[in-house]
Amino acid sequence: MSSHRILSRPGELIDRSTRLSFTWNGRPYTGYKGDTIASALAAEGVGVFSRGLKYHRRRGILTADHWDPNLAVQVGDEPNVRAGSRRLVEGMQVTAQNVWPCLRFDIGTATRLVGRFLSAGFYYKTFMRPRFLWNHVYQRVLRKFAPGGQVHWQTKSHDNYDKRYAHPDVLVAGGGPAGIAAALAAAKAGASVMLVEQEPELGGHLRWGGPDDLSVLDGLLEAVQSCSGIEILCDSVVTGRYDHNWVAIMQRSHPVALERLIKARVGSLVVAPGLIERPYVFAGNDTPGVMLSGAVKRLINLWAVSPGHRAVVFSANLEGDAVLADLESAGVEVVAVLDARAGDDVVRVKGKGRVKTILTGDGQTLEADLLVTAVGWTSPTSLLNMAGDRPVYDQVAARYFPQSLPDNVLATGGITGDGSITELVAHGRETGTLAASRAMRIRHDRMSATARSPKPSFDRPAAVSDERVPLRRVPHPECYQSSTHGLVDFSEDISSKDLIQAAAEGFDSIELMKRYTTVTMGPSQGKLETVNAAAVLAEARQTAIVDVGTTVWRPPFAPVSLGALAGQSFEPTRRSAIQNWHEANGATNMLAGQWVRPDHYGNPMAEVANVRNNVGLIDVTPLGKLDLRGPDVSRLLDLVYVNKWQNLEIGRVRYGVMVAEDGVVSDDGVTGRLAEEHYLMTTTSSGAGAVWEMLEDWLQTYRPEWEVHVTPVTGGLTSINVAGPRSRELLKRLVDDVDLSATAFPYFSVRKGSVAGVQDCIIWRIGFTGELSYEIHAHSGYALHIWEALLGAGSDLGVAPFGVEAQRILRLEKGHYIVGQDTDGLSKAPTASLGGLVKLDKLDTIGLPELRAAFQRSDLPVLVGLQTEDPSIVPEEACQIVSSDGNEILGRITSSRMSPTLGRSVCLAQVYSSLAAAGTLLTVKLVDGRRVKATVQEQHAHVDPEGERQRV
Amino acid sequence: MSDIHYRSAVEFPFLSAPDGSISLADHSEYTKVLVRADRKTAAGKHLKVSYGRSRSRDGILICGSRPDEWTLLSEAHRSTEVAESVPRDGFVSVVDITHARTMFRISGSCAVDALAKVCNVDLADHMTPDGAVFSGSIAKVGCDVVRNDQEAGRSYLIACERSFGKYLFAVVADACAEFGIAIPSGMSTH
Repeated sequence: MSSHRILSRPGELIDRSTRLSFTWNGRPYTGYKGDTIASALAAEGVGVFSRGLKYHRRRGILTADHWDPNLAVQVGDEPNVRAGSRRLVEGMQVTAQNVWPCLRFDIGTATRLVGRFLSAGFYYKTFMRPRFLWNHVYQRVLRKFAPGGQVHWQTKSHDNYDKRYAHPDVLVAGGGPAGIAAALAAAKAGASVMLVEQEPELGGHLRWGGPDDLSVLDGLLEAVQSCSGIEILCDSVVTGRYDHNWVAIMQRSHPVALERLIKARVGSLVVAPGLIERPYVFAGNDTPGVMLSGAVKRLINLWAVSPGHRAVVFSANLEGDAVLADLESAGVEVVAVLDARAGDDVVRVKGKGRVKTILTGDGQTLEADLLVTAVGWTSPTSLLNMAGDRPVYDQVAARYFPQSLPDNVLATGGITGDGSITELVAHGRETGTLAASRAMRIRHDRMSATARSPKPSFDRPAAVSDERVPLRRVPHPECYQSSTHGLVDFSEDISSKDLIQAAAEGFDSIELMKRYTTVTMGPSQGKLETVNAAAVLAEARQTAIVDVGTTVWRPPFAPVSLGALAGQSFEPTRRSAIQNWHEANGATNMLAGQWVRPDHYGNPMAEVANVRNNVGLIDVTPLGKLDLRGPDVSRLLDLVYVNKWQNLEIGRVRYGVMVAEDGVVSDDGVTGRLAEEHYLMTTTSSGAGAVWEMLEDWLQTYRPEWEVHVTPVTGGLTSINVAGPRSRELLKRLVDDVDLSATAFPYFSVRKGSVAGVQDCIIWRIGFTGELSYEIHAHSGYALHIWEALLGAGSDLGVAPFGVEAQRILRLEKGHYIVGQDTDGLSKAPTASLGGLVKLDKLDTIGLPELRAAFQRSDLPVLVGLQTEDPSIVPEEACQIVSSDGNEILGRITSSRMSPTLGRSVCLAQVYSSLAAAGTLLTVKLVDGRRVKATVQEQHAHVDPEGERQRV
Repeated sequence: MSDIHYRSAVEFPFLSAPDGSISLADHSEYTKVLVRADRKTAAGKHLKVSYGRSRSRDGILICGSRPDEWTLLSEAHRSTEVAESVPRDGFVSVVDITHARTMFRISGSCAVDALAKVCNVDLADHMTPDGAVFSGSIAKVGCDVVRNDQEAGRSYLIACERSFGKYLFAVVADACAEFGIAIPSGMSTH
């Protein structure tokens, strides 16, 4: 292929001293550092980059920037890469996407044979019936034709997306002359500024301008780069503006992350995106070789690439006229210049892989390989839409303009009007100053309202009205469509004919037409085609464009990868001070909420047996622990627990149950009195946070006069349960300042003492296993020492650790219920058999009226102990208890395990109260459908119902 | 007790970028005492520091962590001394939370940039100057943060519930990797 690279240009971005190798569809190519993928390929003579979505027509460069709908390619494992803006990297493997078997011979072109049937609303009309084909035929076929590249679900190359927060006073979206000027002015006014530019370099259209433009750009760049108050983000895009100026920015070429999503809380947002050149609608306007004037300027001036050999220029404005000089300087022969202002027109382009002939409005046929169109601009008003604006079409200037914006959103540059570079810069400067003034007012308010901030050193700026002199609106012909039909939406393959048909079918509102035809819904989201779509619809309706209205732009402004939106996932986990030991000693972990816990150490059944026969240790640190201090603690306990707390002696422990205001059991635990005004409350592991919040809520709102301080100390106190008949014997070896005898330290007592030399431990005589047991709460920094000391001291006693699974078996054997497992969101106190605990004669308790009502009822389910007739069958938890002769649900299994102590299965179950009498024979329906018989037990406890083992 | 060593939830006591632009240092063993009292009590008047601010006095960093709540930070093994320094007239709670919190220090010129990856609080000088105290979410963990600049520059003390310590330190270290901290093998957020 011949090289299209031309001699050096003053503003070129390529580094001719650094060559980069890459492949395109498997063939080797080279480019220069600074090239885009597209410019490197164009320099090598490549003219076809993709195929159209529906008809698979060949596509070439149209805009040569990020918005180019024809330049989506696959790079390695990354799909949908914008070849118009992605810079070339050594070794890149670039392939065309949405083609099969290859770009040159694409089977998809066969769709042209049925093209006349692929009209607007084709999918809606065609795939409605028969319904049974939806899943197995239509879905598979349509998936084959889905556009876009491919990414393997196991890809490893997309795993480094990142996020970051930012709080600039002023954020400028757009790094053209007006945007840079706004950023400089805002920084000069004292604001912190973030300047975001979609292209890899600042400068906007100045970059491909003449010497004067480049001179202005040099000055602006020097100023902005030496300004310390401006953070510049190039190759980044503001993707959305949300309430309260919450702005999302996608930073693309980050040094360590593939992409980084920046979440910015912004004082003032300045929108300066410039203008986007729009295509002209005519037959064959998607033929490779039809380019917008901006594309030609970029190819020639930024990348020194000749866009063709023989060109026809179709111009409706000065910028289009200016492309002539660029073409000539690049050695491109200009065959003809068609002036839209003088009535010239382009009717049709012919050529398969490249433009060959151009049919003009006056009947001429011109031979050329390049048609340059310059017919006007589209205003990318998306961010303004997101701020609540509804831009209005101006017939004179032939584009949309902002209408009304909130104070903290300002627009500048070409989106607001026309002007010389000097005028654009001046407008940007005024806008930046205004934005800074408003942002500093917000900063003042934030500082004044934030406790950690100093008092503002400046007076609150007065509210400043917008007195900027607006930019002019230069008249421009409404040049949208020729006498022939052509593509309006290049991403979606939507032609003007499709739009007219949609209007004829009744979809003649711009919003309905958008949804029916998908026009403007492709990757460029209407940046190129919105005005053209409105113009075609206006003509179809025989009305003015301004009466057609516009669609509403929503985030994102530019395509965003899903990986970037997901970003790094933070999933906090909690670990006890002994967790490392567990893992080093064979524990199999489980995740209980956020807690990483040892489920077992290899054989939970053996762990149960060891606790029943010797002594076991379990790390129960996740148990919620709240330090309660103050003279009114007992009143608080009376309020939140269903039982009475006024007479709890120092050194004693009491079990309590909490219910919510609807009477449903919400949490349980024991609370010990450590000193006159000092208690330690334990809660369920999962309920610790909620109970703390609940206590604070009641103290702060309902009883602010009570003197109680609640401090969560869950992680600070590592909890070790020492359980088993030899637990006292073991503890005695390590505790010398507490009398552990049954008389001095009875069941449900608490003491403070030293364990293995660690002072200030809290030793409880409580248990969940049904065995003699103690619970040690020790300062976590020394907990591992205690754990290891216990294991070392008790080796002759058979001490061994046990995990959560063994604990669950032990507690089920003993008949202890777990809130949230054996109770549910409807379980009231009678269900949990709390009749003996609840004191209805108390003056106040959360949920007391509901409790009183609940104990009047006889229809509430009841928790019972249950054993199957066949001891080897362990019904799965949640199995239903049904009527013996049918499927009427009478209850469910809430807990079940095989008991190694009894050698049979044991269960807890909720059943109707009429079935709760001991000896009642119930039918349990197993998961596999079998029905087995089970008998209600006298008590919940299956092992040691009298409690003799734990009260020794 | 002198021969019993304190064990932190953080496994790597110090990590630093080669150029010193950022470092992480575990301070979990530091004394941490929580005081709750009305501002008008003797304790409140003694501590003085207002909510959201901190001040160093007699080797104790007094942090106004919440309204009517202070966290006192000091060198390790000073819990009793620090607790006893608080007047007890009226309703005052003094709780030693040394073992209940993991605390580490992030320092250096890149500290703000690293924290901005995991914390959405505005750390600009005008919003969070030296001495500022605030509570916020860091990588989804509730933390108390003190800006406590050192001679070398910016520095923040971050405290969280102890059991989150290993996770949080690893996540913050990961955020620092971009600025030169090498992540030790075996350090994981899971």
